Amino acid sequence: MTSDRSGDGLPWSERVALWDAALESVRRYLRAEGMREVSTPVRVAGVAVEPFIEPLTAPPGYLATSPEMVMKRLLCRGSGSIFQVSHVFRASEVGAHHSEEFHLIEWYRLGAPLAVARGDVESLVDAAFAAARRDPVASWSTFGVMELIEETLGCALRGDEEAEELAQESARCGLPLHVAGLDDPSPEVRRLAAWTAFISEWSDAHLDPWLELRGGGVHVCDFPPALAALSEIREVDGCALAARFESFVDGVELANGYQELRDPAEQAARFAAVAGLRRAHGAPALPVDEGFLADLRGFGLPACAGVALGLDRLLMLAVGATRLGQVSTALSVAGRLDA
Amino acid sequence: MDVSDLRKNAKLEIDGQPYVVVDFQFVKPGKGQGLYKCKIKNMITGAVLDRTWRSGERLEAANVESRKMQYLYSTGESFTFMDSSTFEQVELAADIVGSDANFLLDNLDCDILFYNERPVGLSMSSHVVMEIVEAEPGVKGDTATGVTKQAKVSTGYEIQVPLFIKVGERVKIDTRTGAYVERVNN
Repeated sequence: MTSDRSGDGLPWSERVALWDAALESVRRYLRAEGMREVSTPVRVAGVAVEPFIEPLTAPPGYLATSPEMVMKRLLCRGSGSIFQVSHVFRASEVGAHHSEEFHLIEWYRLGAPLAVARGDVESLVDAAFAAARRDPVASWSTFGVMELIEETLGCALRGDEEAEELAQESARCGLPLHVAGLDDPSPEVRRLAAWTAFISEWSDAHLDPWLELRGGGVHVCDFPPALAALSEIREVDGCALAARFESFVDGVELANGYQELRDPAEQAARFAAVAGLRRAHGAPALPVDEGFLADLRGFGLPACAGVALGLDRLLMLAVGATRLGQVSTALSVAGRLDA
Repeated sequence: MDVSDLRKNAKLEIDGQPYVVVDFQFVKPGKGQGLYKCKIKNMITGAVLDRTWRSGERLEAANVESRKMQYLYSTGESFTFMDSSTFEQVELAADIVGSDANFLLDNLDCDILFYNERPVGLSMSSHVVMEIVEAEPGVKGDTATGVTKQAKVSTGYEIQVPLFIKVGERVKIDTRTGAYVERVNN
């Protein structure tokens, strides 16, 4: 059947026009801010090891789950500030707001504080909304994670609780954690297991409904150190917190930003903790990208802020759609696009 | 089956009961484990439950199939259907058929659901056409919309219809709500 419409969503010609206008305005903004565009391989030897992100295999390597490792190696080798619009792949993530293949806008700004990176997120959202002829997000606010936990759960946490204490406190506040890895011999794995489970349960039960009700643009920042992922840990009002933020528009998670971690020993320790948590959950072992660690040690990563922003979700919001499939131009893909 | 194979209309066996996934949402709150938030319907009782599974969990697929059969007759306690190609007959108890009995006309084609080869349920098309056998006469001149009167169809089911509907006319009924949809002209 030949049709201008794809069952549900924008007509195909409008989708093409939307992607064209959005890609153009995203690139125009990032270039004007002094970043160079790079294009790195989609098929890679190793991925950024995360507890709950599963790569698709592409023997002898993987399809990139994010361009982070390769872009950071370019930064180590003197690229200066760079950006990329890349295709990334995450196995078994299929839903209204998930697809096994999607587009990340990823950018790294040398010497920039996180506040500048948050400003970039706001500007890119504006740019995409303008490309779709939609009014900009009315207002943006920034909240600390610990403050939001206290407000929504009524549980005052410091952020540095060990696994056992966190599990007890969380259960006391009505959020019991049932999670593998709490009995791991390594305290780092236990801490990562407990905090990962806590933030996931809390987000599902409290943060997501709060964000949906609030609407507009929200940055959530200053995460507990166990959830630093690839970000630096720094002092905020006497507490050690991760220099990381997540950005949401109308309750939809759009972007994740880090003041990038530069210490190779700390980075290797975090990879080891993630590998331990993956083991505890029975997830397959993933090779650590030794080239990335070698570059951190050999060249060193310049101080920078980095952000990844989901372009498909951004365009979905820009046209007021509710499912990625309503704006996607994917006419032929391997695997399921939507539930 | 792996939980990542969940999708709408997947048939699952939980505690020895067949369920069908009627709604499905994949979320990954806080970058944690993926959650599969589902509404599942018990295929025998029709009860709908909310269930959430986490990525990595395993599920049991239900051995469920549906076969086209014709309604033959009822004893009041049970309803008999026949496979018109094999002439095999099966019975469903009245409590399983429930309010669908209101729309079971002789020789009506239905989908009979088999779970582990045992007939456990009935699904009928969303609309049926039935003849009005009793209705109060319409009041002449009353053209207000939304005003209805009581009528009875050939199975004895009583339904609210617009005032202009007369005995002997045929109407389309939504079997999911039991409500009148429109008059069917011959």
